[in-house]
Amino acid sequence: MRRNTLVLGATLLILAIFAWAGWANWEYRRQEAERLLSGTSQGELVPAPGGGTPQYVSPLNGKPAPAFELKDLSGNKVSLESYRGKAVLVNFWATWCGPCRVETPWIIELRNKYAARGFEVLGVDTEGDDLEKNDKAGWAKATAAAGKFVAEEKISYPVLLDGDSISRDYGGLDDLPISFFVDRKGVVVAAQVGLTSESDIESKIQKALAN
Amino acid sequence: MLDVRKNLFAPILVFAIGLAAAHGQSSTAQSRPLVKTDAVTYLFPEQVSVPAGKPTHVTLHFRIAQGLHVNSHTPNYEYLIPTTFSIPDGAGVQLASASYPAGSLMALTYDPTTKLSVYTGEFIIQVSIVATAGNHLVEGKLRYQACDNNQCMPPKTITVAIDVIGK
Repeated sequence: MRRNTLVLGATLLILAIFAWAGWANWEYRRQEAERLLSGTSQGELVPAPGGGTPQYVSPLNGKPAPAFELKDLSGNKVSLESYRGKAVLVNFWATWCGPCRVETPWIIELRNKYAARGFEVLGVDTEGDDLEKNDKAGWAKATAAAGKFVAEEKISYPVLLDGDSISRDYGGLDDLPISFFVDRKGVVVAAQVGLTSESDIESKIQKALAN
Repeated sequence: MLDVRKNLFAPILVFAIGLAAAHGQSSTAQSRPLVKTDAVTYLFPEQVSVPAGKPTHVTLHFRIAQGLHVNSHTPNYEYLIPTTFSIPDGAGVQLASASYPAGSLMALTYDPTTKLSVYTGEFIIQVSIVATAGNHLVEGKLRYQACDNNQCMPPKTITVAIDVIGK
C-alpha cells in the first residue's frame, strides 16, 4: 500500500513537472519572440501632419546607422564607415520589386543633384531573401539580375550585394523599398518604407545634408 | 525498498528525458527567426486518396491576404518572380504536372503603364500527382512574391502539407 502510494505520488509529481515544463517552455518562447521582435527595430507608418505622405518612423532614427561591409558588383568591399563625413542614403531594393524600379530614377537624379554637396547613395540589393547560402546557381542568377538592372538604369552609385545579411540590423526589411538617410556623423536622421515621392526623398536628403 | 526504487526508476527516467526535451526546445527557440504572417495561406485539401501509380488530379486552394497581390505563374515581365508549386523528390509522390490560373491584369497607381499579371483573393492550382502505395505526408512548396500598392515583400516559400494515401 505504502509502495503504491509512493509510486502514485511520484507519477503525479512527474506529470505536474511536465505540465510546468510545457508552460515554462511556451512562456520562454513567447518572451523570446517579443525580444526578437523588439530587437529587429521595426518601425511604423504614421500619418503626416496635414494629411501628406505617411512617414515611416524607424527606431533607428537618431541612432548611429548600423555598420556594414558588403561587396559591390565588382567584388570590392564597401563599408558604410568609409563614407563618414558624407550624407548617405542607404537604399534597400531588389529587381523583383516594382516600386523600387519606380523610385530608382528619382534617386539617380537626386544623387547627381546633391553629390557636389557631399551626398552619396549606397544601393543595397536584397535579391536573394529566400535563397539558401549554398544555392550557388540561385545567387549567381540574383547577382546577374542586379547587374542587368544596374546597367539598364545606368546607376552611377555603388550597388552592394547580399543586403539580406544585414537586414536584421536594419529592422528586418520585410518590405521594399526601404531607405535610411544617414547624416555626415553617421546618424540616421530619417527613414522611408515603400514608394513615396521624389520630393519626399529630396526633403530627407536635405535633412541628412543639413546635420 | 528495492521494489520502490525499481518502481520509481522508470518515471524518473521519463522525467529526465522530458526535462531534456524541454530544454532542447528552448535552446532551439533562441536561434529561430521570427515567423511573420504569410501573405499566402494554403487552405485545402489536407488529405487525398489516389490510386497508386496512376496520375490523379488534385485541386489546391490558396488564399492571399487582403490588400496584397502575388505574381501569377506567368508574370508579364521577366524580372518578376512567378508563383510556382513543386514537390520535393523522395516523398513517394511525384508532381506530374501543374496547371495555374491565368492572372488578372493590374496596373498600380504609381505606374499605370505597367500591366502586371497577378493573383488576388483566392486562387487554385490544378496538379496531377502520382503516388506509390501507402501513406505519404507530402510537403509541397509554393514560392511566391507578394506586394501591395506601394511596397513589396521578399519572395517566400511556404509548405503545402498534404496527406496523400496511395491505394
